[in-house]
Amino acid sequence: MSAITETTARQEGPLPETPETPALAREDTARRHRALVLPRSPKVILGVVIVGIFVILMVVGPWVAPYSPSSTQFAASLHPSAAHWLGTTVLGQDIFSQLLVGARATLIVGFVAGLIATVLSTVIGVTAGYIGGPTDDGLSLVSNVFLAIPGLPLLIVVESYLPAHDQSNSFIIGAVIALTGWAWGARVLRALTMSLRNRDFVEAARIIGERRARIIFSEVVPNLLAVLASSFLFTMLYCIGAYVALAYIGVTSTAVWNWGTMLYWAQANNAALANQWWWFVPPGICIALVGMGLALLNFGIDEFINPRLRAAGLTRKVVRRSRLSNRPRLGLTPVLGRPA
Amino acid sequence: MTGVWDDDVVEAADVRASSAPAGITETQDGPGMPAALETVPETAPETALETVPEPVPGGPALAVSSRGRDKGAVVTPSERPGEALLPAPSEDDAVFEICDLSIDYGLGPGALHAVRHADLMLRRGRVLGLAGESGSGKSTLVYGATRLLRQPGVVSGGSVRLYSRRRGEEGRVVDLLAASERELRRIRWSEISVVLQSALNALNPVSTIESEFDDVLKAHRREMSRKTRRERAAELLTMVGINADRLRDHPHELSGGQRQRVMIALALALEPQVVIMDEPTTALDVVTQREIIEELIGLRDRLGFAMLFITHDLSLLIELADEIAVMYAGRIVERAGASTLYRSPRHPYTHGLLNSFPPMHGETRRMTGIPGSPPDLAAVPAGCAFRPRCLYAMERCGTEAPALVPLDGEEHEAACFLHSGDVAVPGELAR
Amino acid sequence: MLAIARRIGLYVLTAWVAITVNFVLPHLMPGNPIDQLVGKLTGRVTPQIVHAIELQFGVGLHQGLVAQYVRYWEQLFHGNLGTSITLSAPVSTVLGQTVPWTIGLIGISTIVSFVLGTIVGTLLGWRRGTVLDAVLPISTFFQAVPYFFFGTVLLLVFGSHLGWFPILGAYSPNVTVGWHWAFVASVLRYGQLPALTVVLSSIAGWIMGMRNMMVTTVGEDFVLMAVAKGLPKRKVIAYAARNAVLPSIANISLALGLLVSGALLVELVFNYPGVGDLLLQAVENEDYPLLQGIFLVITFTVLAANLIADVIYLALDPRIRGEA
Repeated sequence: MSAITETTARQEGPLPETPETPALAREDTARRHRALVLPRSPKVILGVVIVGIFVILMVVGPWVAPYSPSSTQFAASLHPSAAHWLGTTVLGQDIFSQLLVGARATLIVGFVAGLIATVLSTVIGVTAGYIGGPTDDGLSLVSNVFLAIPGLPLLIVVESYLPAHDQSNSFIIGAVIALTGWAWGARVLRALTMSLRNRDFVEAARIIGERRARIIFSEVVPNLLAVLASSFLFTMLYCIGAYVALAYIGVTSTAVWNWGTMLYWAQANNAALANQWWWFVPPGICIALVGMGLALLNFGIDEFINPRLRAAGLTRKVVRRSRLSNRPRLGLTPVLGRPA
Repeated sequence: MTGVWDDDVVEAADVRASSAPAGITETQDGPGMPAALETVPETAPETALETVPEPVPGGPALAVSSRGRDKGAVVTPSERPGEALLPAPSEDDAVFEICDLSIDYGLGPGALHAVRHADLMLRRGRVLGLAGESGSGKSTLVYGATRLLRQPGVVSGGSVRLYSRRRGEEGRVVDLLAASERELRRIRWSEISVVLQSALNALNPVSTIESEFDDVLKAHRREMSRKTRRERAAELLTMVGINADRLRDHPHELSGGQRQRVMIALALALEPQVVIMDEPTTALDVVTQREIIEELIGLRDRLGFAMLFITHDLSLLIELADEIAVMYAGRIVERAGASTLYRSPRHPYTHGLLNSFPPMHGETRRMTGIPGSPPDLAAVPAGCAFRPRCLYAMERCGTEAPALVPLDGEEHEAACFLHSGDVAVPGELAR
Repeated sequence: MLAIARRIGLYVLTAWVAITVNFVLPHLMPGNPIDQLVGKLTGRVTPQIVHAIELQFGVGLHQGLVAQYVRYWEQLFHGNLGTSITLSAPVSTVLGQTVPWTIGLIGISTIVSFVLGTIVGTLLGWRRGTVLDAVLPISTFFQAVPYFFFGTVLLLVFGSHLGWFPILGAYSPNVTVGWHWAFVASVLRYGQLPALTVVLSSIAGWIMGMRNMMVTTVGEDFVLMAVAKGLPKRKVIAYAARNAVLPSIANISLALGLLVSGALLVELVFNYPGVGDLLLQAVENEDYPLLQGIFLVITFTVLAANLIADVIYLALDPRIRGEA
């Protein structure tokens, strides 16, 4: 609004320098601060804690498991006890050991698949969004087709055609899952890239004559990082779900211990009808907890991207403490110090 | 503003506008009565709202004046020979009054003070302009006053009153800050309507234009039948120069100017006494802007509503408004009649603003602008907030915040120590 | 109706891709799965079935891939999806019997879940900052629970433990199948628990999506305008919700694939005689013809449902309609 911009005002400098003036600098540090400090909402902290615990479990699980998960050395269908924290299966296997050992395969497949899918979706989405034109049309079409095909049935068909030794290979299974999981991320990243492409700083880089690859990697992708992270978490969530489902239906090798195979054996032995809740409940809860952790982390990223989702400025605690005439509501701005 | 109003009347009205709010509270509300609603005796002649005023013999009363002035309002006396057309304003002339209003963002020690101790008075049938740079708090002021401000906005003090006077009804005073949600809902749009900056965002993208009107009429005019509502919508749309067959259109099918016209028609649908316009023309091109302003002036002439017009474009206000208040960093720094403000700005900030925009008419001024930028609300300088940008800053400005005080005539006020009589006033602020 | 035409075009293309993948997979997969299958089957099933398999996958026909592809299409046009190995019946016949159960169960529970979730999400988004926000972290937990696990828990608690619901199958074995009240009532009773599973497992997604869109939409000017206009509260909420629901509907096409995938496994938990249960049998027995038939049928059904969602979206968003 003022005819002179902030920069020129600084250069001209006829103004008396005062300690309060550099509002711009203050704003800058504030912004940098925001970029570094993760949102401190309890939701996000909970997410970090949950995901952290499971990552540790993924690493150390097989080493700390008290018994071999496949060994049938114990009495069948034991209730949880001090010796067997989660009881045993009808075959006399220690369920707690299965759970610990299974964490690794479950999470690694989810992680690998999520990573491959995110790389795919970034390459395809950013290329389509940045280059546009027929390239975009083609790539968008491919992603839309992949979005429309229901993933699990396709996965089942593909996985069941895999040779038996591949059905127990975490990386191959992960790659196949990734093939069905990249399209959503690609669509999101494409839309975002398209909006970035027309922003001033990208335009400027283009006018200067920067190479396209350089613009994409140094100007566009850094601005996508938050969304990319969110897309990765989301995709990983999907991939874990898909892997567990495949294992549960018995398409992947039932000899590889993961939470899905645990559920497969529980279902095959009618654990639910036999009331052996300790068999199938723990893996299910673990899957849900991992999912919850990832989703809560995602909240943090979402709130970072879209400040409107952040808990509103007037928290309930503050509102209760001050004498407001009413709870803040749309169209009813509170008034201080008035009786309600 | 002198020359049209009787001096004593002006004085009376101005005392209301500028005096401490306590006095008004006592006369209007009675001490210690927070009642949101009460009746006041009818003392002034009824202002016709529903009917088109009689054309004044000899005066181009209904002609849309491109100068933004019309009967009763004041500009250059030479332009309107011998006209004193509106009923003489009396003490009850206020229709919307903001006293000592303060608005914060957030609560407690970290709260940002977006508006501090603002007084404004909108007179019946007049146009009050509120000018200031973005971030000066002008929008916050009116949204807070109408309780439309979103969180974390909080009204931290002051009072806002609507003096409702409708034909065939007893006059009433509504205290907006104490009103219940239900009461607010009742007076919203029927007494006070608001036009937002971007009509594209203000109209529901999935509704037809007709249902926008229909919703308003259904909510406030229960007695109207479906058919009457549709007729009324068509009538309103025609009134702002849009063909009634556009009623079936959706907002995205209209141009920016048309959408803004629709918003204006919508704002007038219930013949409110107060219309608040928040930068209604900012998103439009200059030609459309001009057309809309003229349309507004014409409508105001015919319908007689009072208008609070917010813009950063001071030269537009000079054309349009009867009275102008200038805001800086949450405070009102100068207030005067439009022509007075234009001819003789008293606050250095107003002076700078006037030199940032080319005037729409009249002599061209040298464009200088104001060095620097408005302060961050979180770090408003101590003393006078404008001091870091002020060319005439004195020592005193860094320690004390100047109050809005009357200058040369009761209807001109400025908040600047230059006019305290201690120092020589610079030439351009003494014209 | 350009927009719809484009969507139909996309779905036709998708169907073509699905069919082609279906054809190509057995031929391109490493390890010659079909030869292995034929080898495994010989002697275990009737020669007619082995022959049917050989015919379907072009074993010993010495035809080029292109010729086989053409033949595959011909078969498809005649509704011939091959012969199921385990059931010794044409795949199309088998699917004809199971698909209606699946569409009934998943279709109804999806609609219920969408409608309920959208309503709850609307209120959560509108009343942000209240106690209801505490629901959010909990909802992520439910969102991540695999459908089949949730089904198993419900089965255990409400079926076998509390005995509130019948647990296995789609209707009581004591009623005769037919269009009479006793049968319909039995179907409704048996469907409750599986449907509840699908609704409870999928509703969190709709709630979250709608809630976030509501939060964004309530921040829009036109919602503030609705308040400024003095409209009744439910009208203001309707303004916001009407706009916020659009992305939810647009997302149906994404969600449907996930939802159907999840719901199929619920059938498996409850021994529901739908496609999901069939899928398990097909996997266990390496019944490739059945597996592929199921894949095609599910894909086509999902595409059809997507098209319905698109039409609804078009009807609700005048801006897209304007482009057409």
